[in-house]
Amino acid sequence: MRRLDAIALVWWVAGTAAVFFMLAPLVALFVFSFSAGSVLTLPVTGWSVRWYRELAATPEFWIALKNSLVVCVAVGFASTTVGTMAAMAMARLPARRAGALISVFSLPVMLPPLVLALSMLTFFVGTGLGLGLPTVILGHLVYTLPFVVLIVYARMAAFDPAIIDSARDLGASPWRTFATVVLPVARPTIIGAALVAMALSLDDFVIALFTIGGGNTLPTFMWGMLRKGVNPGINVVGVVLVTLILVASLLALRVTRYRG
Amino acid sequence: MTLRRGPLVLLSPAFGVFAVCFVLPAAYFFVVSFWQVRSYRLVKETTAENYLRVFTDYSGPLLDTLVLAFIVATTVTGFAFFYVYLCRFKAGRFAPLLLFAAMLTLFGGYLTKIYMWRTILGDSGILNASLITAGLIEEPISVFLFNPVAVVITLGHYLVPFAILPLYGVMHAIRDDPLEAARDLGASRWHVFRHIVLPQCRTGIVAAFTLTFLFTSGDFATARLVGGPDASLFGVFVQGQFTQRLNQPMGAAMAFTMLACCLVVVSAVALGVRRAVAYR
Repeated sequence: MRRLDAIALVWWVAGTAAVFFMLAPLVALFVFSFSAGSVLTLPVTGWSVRWYRELAATPEFWIALKNSLVVCVAVGFASTTVGTMAAMAMARLPARRAGALISVFSLPVMLPPLVLALSMLTFFVGTGLGLGLPTVILGHLVYTLPFVVLIVYARMAAFDPAIIDSARDLGASPWRTFATVVLPVARPTIIGAALVAMALSLDDFVIALFTIGGGNTLPTFMWGMLRKGVNPGINVVGVVLVTLILVASLLALRVTRYRG
Repeated sequence: MTLRRGPLVLLSPAFGVFAVCFVLPAAYFFVVSFWQVRSYRLVKETTAENYLRVFTDYSGPLLDTLVLAFIVATTVTGFAFFYVYLCRFKAGRFAPLLLFAAMLTLFGGYLTKIYMWRTILGDSGILNASLITAGLIEEPISVFLFNPVAVVITLGHYLVPFAILPLYGVMHAIRDDPLEAARDLGASRWHVFRHIVLPQCRTGIVAAFTLTFLFTSGDFATARLVGGPDASLFGVFVQGQFTQRLNQPMGAAMAFTMLACCLVVVSAVALGVRRAVAYR
């Protein structure tokens, strides 16, 4: 009995240490963003919102935030539309063929992001299409699509196709069938997939860095600050970014009632 | 008739996106990898010279990167396996909380995490300050940052949640009854783990390793920000071909060589894992 207690204690300590390792940097990020000093160390000498004020007075930050939001909304909308259509078609296919399709669509995610980003950079520049926010959106689209397809397909595969067929037989148009039969059931899943795509888009740094040409999204703006050295203003950009991503992903977990 | 045509019509936008944003760029990138750059201009002559130069000029960093990626992937897969095992078999009612903590860090921001590790491990960082306060050291020591260990910690921290996902998938599906039956029939805890739990985790282990290995071998930001001179990952050199040397064909050849090497390592590891934890 005593030996069992000792083993349980070891598991407890190890588990707590693991959670501490994973969460400590994020907690430190939020805490230090309110530090008054310009050196990030312990003990914190005073608290202020000085770095928030300074960042709010930087026009480049607002431009980067706007770009990030434009890309994220466009990607969320496009990726969800294209992905949902594909997932609905795949739900009609035999499971093995649908699985093979999912593997094919997942290839861009399996590659290191650097390779995906550089191949798009080379292609868009080489073919004279040029770079900009549209190419960032295209990059995020192909990167987020497998996640949307996977999430929506999992829901649609459990959906009885006979219901769709009867709606069509009774004379409903494809669009009306989707709006009145499919959407009411699949809406939480589709919204959840959109939010996951938006969270991935907000977080992406590598694809944005190479396909944006000029200008910044929030992560590439942060990269620029990082290369100039450590400055507590970076914490604030980090806080804004992490908050946006967390809100999107927590909402996604909630609406899809994801339980693992 | 609409039913037959339906799937293709619905799938076509996805195929279009896939072709324009992935297949065409990747194919073009591959073709470019055989071209040359002379006085800052692309020369469309097909030669294998770039690939030969990858081996003569960059085989050192390539090998270092594969070794480091192997270390990161093994460490992260091990840590994630421990974490998921804890959630599945040991944590009881705390399991959802532990999983939630892991998922919180999944979307915690890639650059943000690198930056936080830089401030934690740096000379005036949190770790040094804590050690001084605790009286363990007198002066800040700079051994934490700008070395390969910092890269392992930083990348490891970023990748753990991604490794947890596939492992949780497989371990969640393990049923309790066979484990209890084996225990009732006299199998030791180790035997149950080795011959019932572990074989069912194979695909998850391989997926976690593949994911983390590929990501690390293509990483450049972590190496640039916390790596220092001894941890110049291959990705830094690849990126340099595009931002400084403006030699896209060389960079493309380097990227494809790296992918080929990764494929070899990942296949070997997958085969090894399958053999090592096979059912008996």
